[in-house]
Amino acid sequence: MPGFLERIAGKLKSYREPGYYTKLDHKWTMVIDLDKCNGCEACVVACYAENNLPVVGKEQCEKSRAFSWLRIERYVEGEYPDVKVKFIPVMCQHCMKAPCETGCPVYATYHNQDGLNVQVYNRCVGTFTCATYCTYDVRRFNWFTYKWPKPLEAQLNPDVSVREMGVMEKCTFCIQRIRSAKDTAKDEARPVKDGDIKPACSQSCPTGAIYFGDMQDPESVVAKLAKSPRRYRLLEELNADPSVIYLKRVMGDGTSSHE
Amino acid sequence: MKKLILYAVVGGIAFVIGYFVNDQFFSDRAPVQPINFSHKIHAGDNQIPCQYCHIYAERSRVSGVPNVKRCMGCHQIIKTDSPEIQKVASYWDKKEPIPWVKVYNLPDHVYFPHKRHVRAGVDCKNCHGDVASMARIEKVSSLQMGWCLSCHTKREVKNGRDCWTCHK
Amino acid sequence: MKRRDFLKFIGIGGVGAGAGFVLGKVSKPPGAKLIPYLIPPEDIVPGVATWYASVCTLCGAGCGTLVRVMEGRAKKVEGNPGHPVNRGGLCALGQSSVQALYNPDRITKPLKRKGPRGSGEYAEITWDEALKTLAGNLTELKSKNESEKLHLLASPLGGTIDRLAGEFVSAFGSSNYSHYGLFQRKNLAFANLSAMGTASVPHYDIENTKYLLSFGADFASTWVSPVNYSNGYGKMRQGAGERGKLVQVEPRLSLTGASADEWVPAKPGTEALLALAIANTIVEKGLARDASAWRGVLSRYKAKDAASVCDVSVERIEAMAVEFARTRPSLAIAGDSVSSYENGVSGAIAVNILNQVAGNIGIIGGVMPNGDDLGNGKKIDFGRKISTLISAANAGKIKTLIVYGANPVFTTPKAARLEEALSKVPFIASFSSFMDETTAHADIILPAHTSLEDWGDDFPDPGVAAPVASLIQPVVGPVFDTKSLGDIFIELAKAVGGNVAGKINAPNFAEYLKASWKGLYSRNREMAAGTLGFEDFWNKALQRGGWWGPSRKRTATVSARAGEHLAGTPARFEGEEAQYPFYLIPYAQTAYMDGRGANLPWLQELPDPMTSVVWGTWVEINPKTAASLGLKEGDMVNIESPFGKISAPVYLYPGIRPDTVAVPIGQGHSHYGRYAKGRGANPIEILPFKEDPLSGEAALNSTRVRITRGATGERMVKMEGSTKELGRGIVQTVSPSEFKRMKKEVV
Repeated sequence: MPGFLERIAGKLKSYREPGYYTKLDHKWTMVIDLDKCNGCEACVVACYAENNLPVVGKEQCEKSRAFSWLRIERYVEGEYPDVKVKFIPVMCQHCMKAPCETGCPVYATYHNQDGLNVQVYNRCVGTFTCATYCTYDVRRFNWFTYKWPKPLEAQLNPDVSVREMGVMEKCTFCIQRIRSAKDTAKDEARPVKDGDIKPACSQSCPTGAIYFGDMQDPESVVAKLAKSPRRYRLLEELNADPSVIYLKRVMGDGTSSHE
Repeated sequence: MKKLILYAVVGGIAFVIGYFVNDQFFSDRAPVQPINFSHKIHAGDNQIPCQYCHIYAERSRVSGVPNVKRCMGCHQIIKTDSPEIQKVASYWDKKEPIPWVKVYNLPDHVYFPHKRHVRAGVDCKNCHGDVASMARIEKVSSLQMGWCLSCHTKREVKNGRDCWTCHK
Repeated sequence: MKRRDFLKFIGIGGVGAGAGFVLGKVSKPPGAKLIPYLIPPEDIVPGVATWYASVCTLCGAGCGTLVRVMEGRAKKVEGNPGHPVNRGGLCALGQSSVQALYNPDRITKPLKRKGPRGSGEYAEITWDEALKTLAGNLTELKSKNESEKLHLLASPLGGTIDRLAGEFVSAFGSSNYSHYGLFQRKNLAFANLSAMGTASVPHYDIENTKYLLSFGADFASTWVSPVNYSNGYGKMRQGAGERGKLVQVEPRLSLTGASADEWVPAKPGTEALLALAIANTIVEKGLARDASAWRGVLSRYKAKDAASVCDVSVERIEAMAVEFARTRPSLAIAGDSVSSYENGVSGAIAVNILNQVAGNIGIIGGVMPNGDDLGNGKKIDFGRKISTLISAANAGKIKTLIVYGANPVFTTPKAARLEEALSKVPFIASFSSFMDETTAHADIILPAHTSLEDWGDDFPDPGVAAPVASLIQPVVGPVFDTKSLGDIFIELAKAVGGNVAGKINAPNFAEYLKASWKGLYSRNREMAAGTLGFEDFWNKALQRGGWWGPSRKRTATVSARAGEHLAGTPARFEGEEAQYPFYLIPYAQTAYMDGRGANLPWLQELPDPMTSVVWGTWVEINPKTAASLGLKEGDMVNIESPFGKISAPVYLYPGIRPDTVAVPIGQGHSHYGRYAKGRGANPIEILPFKEDPLSGEAALNSTRVRITRGATGERMVKMEGSTKELGRGIVQTVSPSEFKRMKKEVV
């Protein structure tokens, strides 16, 4: 085998080594306290505003093409009058063993050194493979190029690309805010502090249910909360190793349905 | 049938070559500007530092086109008889900005902060060439991703090859 | 290869390359322009965001905001983390205020009516002409000695702009300045006036309470000050202390009810009696802390009588009473399921009594009365109702009506015949920036700025048991040819002249506001602390978003006199039960509020948190009821009251009483822009016209309806797949007892 092929093979092999992904600069993690969340959906609008999500209209919504990177799922149990309602905000879980990453034929989705599962829009060719592989149904596809009527386009966030037809997208943990916090930290010649970064959903949450921080920093709020006995992760048995940690809702009958 | 496919393949290859030739060799690298502004006179002969006019380069992602007031700051006194300066003055009198033509244009999905590069000690020349010798500004870098990455690799920029360092 | 083929290849190659070249040429972006500033604004660095502090005005709560502005464009509205009302959070509606600013359907210029009234046909005019026309009309009124026939109807404005508008009307010689909003919470204010002596909503200290008994207060979506209460709710659940409990009493499980530990679906109209029965049980069991004045009155409300009327068991009432009295501190709040009835004041007073009996007033974690700390003397005029306006219009007592911010045509029932009354008003002017249903009746429209373009201030009501004064500053230049609301009044005053111009002699509203704050500053010593005079204070206030002082503890006693307003009977519903078998609950939904959010595309596409429906109206029916009527989800039905009929698709909702149906308010606009117009139905249309006689607040829960099949209309689109977890353990839970055993996590 020629030398350059060997080099490539060696590199590809190193990606498969266990622990390759644990050598990260940061491990951004979100902790969501379901006992605080009251389902108000302020986070959903915050996400639309921050990430230039288009509004697709009723007909497209009917075809399940709405763009919400972040949605509030609501589950109803029981019958009148013993009705129990539960909320859970679901966004990209930034899995450390993400199924979507294994599927993309053009490497448009991959894991970066911050522990984020990222999507490169200009590389994406829209094969839809990642969305099919995704366990959490959080990937959204641009079926069309959506345009805002003037002057609504003045609101668009210049830190985030406006995506076009044929591109897959999803929650980025507000990577532009991470970048800007790192930028500020660099200017001030210090490392990024806990609390410097608040994704749009976390910032807007009226009840303060969404926490964000670096899991590799043992002093961070998320690292402490992650030790909570209420901790669990969504569909953990699928072993995708998600970076979003939920804290169980405290609720009446206490049937932890999944034990 | 076989022939038809062959025709299509040949046509397709030719099409790509045509497109590429146009893109690479027929771009206007030194567009005509509304005012015949010479960097040679300003940055070269008179040694005005870049950031005297491009005031945001160290503070923002954009370096900033000098505002008309800044031009007039000097040219109210200097060379007021030159026809080009009179053009500047007429923009100022009409309270209109000067519609410069962009030479270094990056696509929307690229996040390029001047600030980070200036603060990292990258000389303006690295990307913009020897502006001090250009009578009319000319694009000297391809601004293609490979070009960015070659520098990032050479300088061993931390995470300099990660997509999301420069894409947004 | 044959020569012929070779030539063919050459030909095809040539054509291909040529086509590629040409495509490359035409698809090349035209030389982008690089437009410099003429004079660089001092506070703008291109590419770097600037944040301005302001106040959200989309509802009355007065949340502090920070607006992100880049290159002169507002990008995002966020909660101001330092502001005592919302502490950093901001609701869905508030965050959409940028879409109100940049709404494509805003009124871009002053307009003059062309077609018949209500047709929405207008011609553009200049500001000069608009001001001259309106001023001319007013001068004529004055010269005919009919000053009293000017009416100003505004949304519940507060602060300096309210003072200016009031000054304008009174200087003109009229006393007719009224506020109107669908959710003005006048019932609560009246109940507090009669019970505690202040006509304001107190601060409900949800954060520190351990037992929250909510009578239909949907604070997770829209009730009174949603972000403040939600913030408290989060801390109540998982704060420093022990976890608080939430019990929700309401016929339809609201968004807040969905988070409650217990849901008490009492019969609609009887919740106030339930509150009194709980209070009486507390007294009878000897658990009351201060019941001296109330023993006699309460003895009429026995738990066993209430049980059958309210459809809640005696055991449950007693258990609630014991838990409410024993848990310290506890708090009862009077939401829509006591205050949205024809006797809403009575219901709110009943809840006040309950708090009084349990000793919850004036304590941390209870009801904390607000005072007029800053002396801005805000007061509610209970006599000014929409019904008085209608009868005045019908009697020809209104010659000129100026409307701002209020949209009574949309939010009053058809039975009120408001449109007919408006047709008798010879001249209507609107200062609205949107073509809402009321503005569509105007003869002339002078569009005002949205709050992101305007100056202003706000003294949040309800307060947070601390003095708070917030400032609104323009964060971007005007997007369209609109004017500051204050400037419209000031310029109008100048054009009218005489003593009106004499009274209002500020050059513009910004100056007027600053002068008003100078007065505020000189009256309040606390404001001077740590500042170098007024200018310094003003700059700091602009930077921070206002000024707020330390919390003040006050107490109050619900006086026995309040008892005279107690109704003692369930609230009545129009319509015979035999003909109209279902109670109708129209409710304020997260996104649309009273209908004002319907023109904002983000909010139209925001799935309703309980049903996940987007872009439309629906009617919530209990699955059992629906089965008995032979209805399935998505079926189109008519909802018919004695006063009218609307149609909507059915949503099967287990969280509603079988004898009740619910419809969200907010859709069914006939105007109001491309996103709102002609979408869904407005349940207010089919209500009887009922107001609480004491406070003047509209009674929303006031009619029965029948449901019939066979209507045609819009399809229902919902975003949810299944409402069931199907054993996947998606939302996992722990029981409260298990939770107590767990180690408390550190935050």
